[in-house]
Amino acid sequence: MKFECKDLERALEVPELMPDAREHARDCPGCRRELWVWAEMSRIASGLRDEWESPELWTRVRQSLDAEPKPKQVRRWDWRLMVGVAAALLIAASAALWYPMLPHPARPAQTDEAFLTDQALKQVEQAESSYAKSIEKLSHVAESKLQGTQAPLAAAYKEKLVMLDSAIAELKTTVDQNRFNAKLQAELAALYKEKQQTLQEILQREQKN
Amino acid sequence: MAVDRPNSESEAGLVDACKRGDLGAFEHVYTIHSSRMKSIAFHLLGDRSDAEDAVQDAFLRIYRALAGFHGESGFQSWMYRILINCCYDAGRKRKRQPETELGFEHTAVSSNVPLQIELRRALAKIHSGHRMVFWLFEVEGFRHSEIGSILEIPEGTSRKWLFEAKRDLKRLLMEARA
Repeated sequence: MKFECKDLERALEVPELMPDAREHARDCPGCRRELWVWAEMSRIASGLRDEWESPELWTRVRQSLDAEPKPKQVRRWDWRLMVGVAAALLIAASAALWYPMLPHPARPAQTDEAFLTDQALKQVEQAESSYAKSIEKLSHVAESKLQGTQAPLAAAYKEKLVMLDSAIAELKTTVDQNRFNAKLQAELAALYKEKQQTLQEILQREQKN
Repeated sequence: MAVDRPNSESEAGLVDACKRGDLGAFEHVYTIHSSRMKSIAFHLLGDRSDAEDAVQDAFLRIYRALAGFHGESGFQSWMYRILINCCYDAGRKRKRQPETELGFEHTAVSSNVPLQIELRRALAKIHSGHRMVFWLFEVEGFRHSEIGSILEIPEGTSRKWLFEAKRDLKRLLMEARA
């Protein structure tokens, strides 16, 4: 496009056209003057800023602030925390399904009741699998929080989780060799529950901080 | 003029500290912005004492509203929007007190003084929105994106209003010299 005098006004509004306007103004005294006036307004305007010292102003602001209550802290729910809460709810729901299927630990079971039937075992294993998956999700959230801190408490939690994972792995190996043993299944459930509580504690502490 | 623009990370840290009630951080915010805030308030109110009152009021409102600030707009834009609202409130209040003078104090001393006075006079005659955009862009050094956020107008409107302000100012200055 060949830049003409009539395009100048548009160029003053659209900065992208300014290089063409300047090029044109080299040979056009009218447009050159117009551009100069425009730039001169900016130059003069930059000197309009009013500055003065107000040594008392911060003191006044501070005194007003001192009379104010502290700003309320609004907790922002980050997505990891929300995932954690959702996972915790899922675990609670899974546990509610799983626990009634297990023999009550406080009541000594009869020898023949200590062994699960095929149908009951299937249900227990399904519930356990779902419970373990839910705990795994919760574990991802909580462990990502633990990794971000070097606090001694965090180190203690990490250690406890390692111990629990090790105990769960060991007991699962034993359960695999004796899948119909309700007592072992109950012990495994108790370990999972312990891990769940630990993870929830970590998240609750994180929320408080 | 050059505008101090803290990077977003340091600004976020400062905002978080202010939200926790850290007055040291809040004082830092004051130190960064109070000078420009006074200048804008003075431009809108025409009196240094009123400008200082407006800035004080703005900082108080900012402190009170910090908990509700979630960064939808930039912190700086949000603060200046509060300041401008304080100035409008102060201006409205003053209009109800007819005994108060609305005269401007002009204390700038430079070789451009006659031109500056002419420009100020011309500025007083143009559309208030155009004037505000001109002031924020040309005097205070804000970008169009920042002005758009402060005045809650599209960035394109800010560009257009600046052009219209300068076109009207040029006409008024030419008329005054004729």
